[in-house]
Formats: sequence, structure tokens, C-alpha cells
Amino acid sequence: MHHRLVRFHHFAFIKWRHVWTPEFLALLLALFVFVAPASASTRLENRSLFMTSNQPGATTSYTVGFRYMTPTPINSVDLLFCLNPIPYEACVTPTGLDVSTATLSAQVGEAGYSILSQSTNHIVLSRSQAAIPASTPSSYTFDNIKNPTDVTQSFSIRLKTLASSDGTGSQVDFGSVRGQVQSSIYIETQVPPQLIFCLSREVELGCTNSDETYYTDMGQLDSESTLVAKSQMAVGTNATAGFAITAVGTPLAAGTSVIEGLTSPTPSQPGVNQFGINLVQNTAPAIGGDPEGIFTNSAPTPDYGIPDQYKYVSGDVVAVSTNVSLMKKFTVSYIVNSSPNLKAGVYSTTITYIASGRF
Amino acid sequence: MKRFKGIALVAIALLMGVVYLLPAASVNAQSSAALSITPKKNYLIEPGKSVDDTLIIRNLDTSTALELSLRVVDFTFTDNGGTPKLFLDPDAPQTTWSLKPFTTIPESVVIPAGGTKTVKMKVAIPANHGAGSYYSAIVYSSGAPAGGGNVGLSASGVTLVFTQIPGQVTENLNLKKLGLYDTAAQGKLDGYKFIVDKQPSTIGYTLENTGNVTEAPVGSITLKDLFGRETKITEVNPSGSLALIGQTRTYNACIKLASQEVDFSGGKTTASTCVSPGLWPGYYKVSLDIFYGQNGNLTKEITGVGSFWYLPLWFVIVFLILLAAIAITVWRLYVGIRRKLSGAQSRKALRRRR
Repeated sequence: MHHRLVRFHHFAFIKWRHVWTPEFLALLLALFVFVAPASASTRLENRSLFMTSNQPGATTSYTVGFRYMTPTPINSVDLLFCLNPIPYEACVTPTGLDVSTATLSAQVGEAGYSILSQSTNHIVLSRSQAAIPASTPSSYTFDNIKNPTDVTQSFSIRLKTLASSDGTGSQVDFGSVRGQVQSSIYIETQVPPQLIFCLSREVELGCTNSDETYYTDMGQLDSESTLVAKSQMAVGTNATAGFAITAVGTPLAAGTSVIEGLTSPTPSQPGVNQFGINLVQNTAPAIGGDPEGIFTNSAPTPDYGIPDQYKYVSGDVVAVSTNVSLMKKFTVSYIVNSSPNLKAGVYSTTITYIASGRF
Repeated sequence: MKRFKGIALVAIALLMGVVYLLPAASVNAQSSAALSITPKKNYLIEPGKSVDDTLIIRNLDTSTALELSLRVVDFTFTDNGGTPKLFLDPDAPQTTWSLKPFTTIPESVVIPAGGTKTVKMKVAIPANHGAGSYYSAIVYSSGAPAGGGNVGLSASGVTLVFTQIPGQVTENLNLKKLGLYDTAAQGKLDGYKFIVDKQPSTIGYTLENTGNVTEAPVGSITLKDLFGRETKITEVNPSGSLALIGQTRTYNACIKLASQEVDFSGGKTTASTCVSPGLWPGYYKVSLDIFYGQNGNLTKEITGVGSFWYLPLWFVIVFLILLAAIAITVWRLYVGIRRKLSGAQSRKALRRRR
């Protein structure tokens, strides 16, 4: 036993002591983590799909094109119509699609195929003479295919080539083509996308009521105090891409004398010419309010969402939602500071808040 | 006679005064600023054909009419996200993807209090026009406010109009970045994280569109941990978001997506949100496989690999404690072995001496 321990100790701590350095161990760990497994799959190239009509629900022709890659005799081609193009994932048949009565009307390049079997979303092409496919592109036209009806989702045809003539066995090459039905006029099946927006000095969350006051008198400019004002806007959308509100307008001006907007989030500082806004509750000065509404996905943009920090750059997006958002109410706080040597005059501006959809 | 002249002059003056004041009162009347519009329109129009459609505008104000002026402006992207940057300046140069020359809308519309109006619009594509994506925006402006004050408020709404002209197009998307994404970064490239201590929720991928059409990729993302367990994301672009021409667009995909039916403006709509996917701490490999391609064009595929570490503080503490325990155990074992060896050697030496 002692001899074994001595041998192990000698082997591990003396003979290999230069090998098990911390650097080597770190390298080994990094290799273990970062080396990705190699893939042996070959993808069909130059894949394409041409739908003669891409009107939802129309009966039309599809031409599927691709280039065979592996120089192996191919006897069958499998075409599976699914929402998702990824071959190893579960196949969901596109709503409304039907290829069960499709016919193979034309073949270009590798030919000699006929339809061996077909169902609502599956076609297997087969040929009896095994041949090594040419490297030139091939295409297959199918007539009498009924288009999917859902214009909001694309669909795919998962392709695979096989050596067997009955569509069984392991695949040789694979790949997917993508298609989408599109209506010239979007036909709504549910509540059509809407963007609701209202603005006033005070509004209700659902835009059902407001005080219908669209201007505010901030009072007399004074270099020792900050003039404040607030307005409110409510916005909501059922569009999946969400909304954005952009503020546009010149800073406060009286003739040629301008109180410039703050170009970055900055605290209010009396005695310095400043014009800025934000969309949250502030304590210095005490004004504003945090956004109201149950959905948290709509919020002021980062620069306009810092308490006691104000900014105003015309064209900036001040609030955004990246998906469906129930009604949300934002309170906009305005601050104006003036230096003692600011030219006298009535300083005013009109700010336009633009609510838009997103793409 | 003199008296009659006086009465007539006063009457004329009063009439002129009334005539002068009436339009002034009308101009100063404040429009409502509460509207409901369609945020986006999509069309597929072949060259030489046109589409007649309607814009539904609702005045949510039940006491004041909504007076809107309408105009078509061009837009592009603001950043890596999906927020449009509108070219509001009337003198702004027309973009190469502009729909302005092909779109017809009325200049103004008045919607009664609490009412809805359907406005006709038309997009007509000239014959022999090249294939591609064309887009502009319809801006509805409620006008400048009447009255004084320092800050006046004006509300505008925007409908984005996208038109696809079918045919052979140039399509090219390049994968710029892939990995764990912090949605608070709102599309910016610095939102990608390699190590996080909070439960990850979103995978991001950034694509640069150098083609002449807008693209909306589809596909899947696979997360694989050190033990080979896979988490699949099949909704890589659930909103069908577009990469505009020339845009480098960051897409966000929830690792786990939860959907709920919500009531919105009198109807049901589905709202989706990212929820905690319950990932274990450790290293994750991210594999992206996406497809894009217009009808009749090649279907192109992009694959990419990224990675990230999820290391919450509690895990780091437990790991360090375990590491310390292993180190102490190994050290004790080592010391023990050395002691036994040195004891055996000294006993051997003692035996030899004897």
C-alpha cells in the first residue's frame, strides 16, 4: 500500500508537477467550455419557393427549387409543410394549408420523380432509377396547393433528400424554404390593431375624459426659482410591435432669445438657462408623477425616466412599449430656469407629442 | 336723414365686427386631442396595380370635435429597435424607399365628438416599377393649441404604411451579434451580456440588412447547458418585426414566453411577456438558426453561436465554499500522505540502522 502511495505521490506531485500548472488547468477548462461539437449535416443550397399566388386560402402552384449537394444516388425527396423551418422540431401544420390533392406538374434539373404519398402537409417524391444528382439547380412545380390563411405567420417547407425510394431511412441532404401568404388588404379576424392616444393638462387613464387644456402659463421667470408645469398623456395599443411617443418642438423662445433644452439628463439649477422635461415623479423640484397603469412593458425611455433629471431634445422618443400595452398614463414635468441676464420677453413653445406604431 | 345715416353706419360697423369676429372664433376653437388610429398597414401590390383602403379614425373625446390635418412623410429607423424616425420637415429629401409619390389621402378630416370616421386612402404603384419594399408614414396632427401660456401641447398620431412590390430583390442579412440581452438597453448593442447574476430572460441577435427589402426572419434558438440539456426558443420574432433597409436591427426573443388574453378597447387581444425560464446557474451555449427570403427569391439561412454565464451571487458563494472545502480536504489528504510516507521512510531507516 505504501509503495502505491509513494508511486502516486511521485507521479502526481513530482514527475507531472510542471504539467499541472494553473495555466494548463485554465486552458483545459476553457477548451472544455468553448469547443463546439462539429456538425456533419449538409444543407441543400440555392433553396427557393415561388408561390404563383400568395393570397391567403388561394389554390395555386408552388415551385420549390434547390441544388443537391452530396454526390450520392437520390431516390426520394421529402417535403414537409410546417410553421417552423427547423427540421428536428415538432411540425405544426400551417392553418388552412392543404397539399393533399397537389400534383407534380413540372420538373427541372434532376427529374423522373412522381408523387409517392401525400397528406394535408406532406408530400414524398420518389423515382425508381437511382442517380447521382447533378450539381445544377433543380426545381419542382406543384399545382393545386391550397395556401395557408394566416397572414400573420410565415410557413416553411422542410426538405430532405433520401437514398431510399420510399422516403424512409436516413436523410442525405436537408434544408428549408420559407413562404408567407399576404393579402393586398389585411383582413382582420380579431380586434384590428389600434393605437389610442390622448393628451391634455390632465387626462384619464382610458382617454375617456380630459380637462381639454392644451397650454399652461408657467408664471414669471425668476433667476432664483424654477418654473414648473405638467401635462399628461395616455397611450395604449394592441399592436404586437408596441408604440413610441416622440416629442417634437423648439425650446422656449422669445423672438431670437432662446432658453435651450438640456441635451442630457441634468438636475434643475436655478440661475442657469435650462428647459427640460421628464416622465417620472421628482422631488427637486417637487413635480410630476410616475407612470400609471398595470402593464409594465411601457415606460419612459432611459433619459426621460430619471427622477430629478431633465432633458429636452426635439425628436427624442420619450416613452416606448415593445409589445401589446394596455392603457398607460404618463405625467410630463416641465422645468424652466433662467439666468439673471436673460433677455426679457414672453418665452413660449408648442411641443407636439407624436404617438406612432413600431415596426 | 343724418340720424338714418348714423344708424346705418353703426349697423354696418356692427355687421363687419360680427363678420370679422366669427371666423376668428372658429380658428381659435380648440380641437380634441384624443384619438384612436391604425398603427400599421401592410400591402402587397404588383407594379401597375393599386390598393384602395380605409383609415379608421376615432375621436375619443365626447365633447369636442377632432380636427386633423393629414400628410404623408418618410421615415427610417431611430436605432437598433423598431421605433420610426419621422422626417417631419416639409423640405426633407425623399427617401429611395418612399411611398409618398404613390399614396393618396385627404388633407384634413373632422371627426365629431365621440365619433368615428373612415378615411379613404389609395396606394398606386406605377407599371414597370422595380420590386422591393417601400414605406412611409401618415401623420395625423391635431394642430397648435389656441390660447396663451408658455408651453402649448399638440397631439399627433402616426400610421406606418409598408408596401411590398413582388419580384426579384436583393436580400442580405448579416449576423452581427448573438447572446444574452438586457431588454432595458432597448435595442442598443451594449445590451449584450456575457455574465449575469439575474435569471436570464431574453436572447438577442443583431442583424444588419444590406439588401433592398425589409426582412422579418423566422427560425429558432437553442440554449444548451454544460450537461447538454436543451431549451428551445421557437418564437424568435413573434411580432414579425422588420429590419428596415440599411438598418442594423436587434431582435429579442424570450427564453420562455407567457401569453395572456387581455381586454383592450372593447375586444380581446393577446399580450405576451418574457417570464423566468428557470435556468440553472452555469455556462450556456446559444445556437441561432434563422431563415429569410421573399416569395420567388432564394430562402437564405443564417446560423450563429454565442454563449453566456449565469452566475447568481448565491451560486458563487456556494461554489467558493465548496471549492474551499475541496481544497482543504485535498490539502489534508496531501499532508496526511506525506506524514505517512515520511513516517514509513523514517521507520525503514531506523530498521536499516538496527
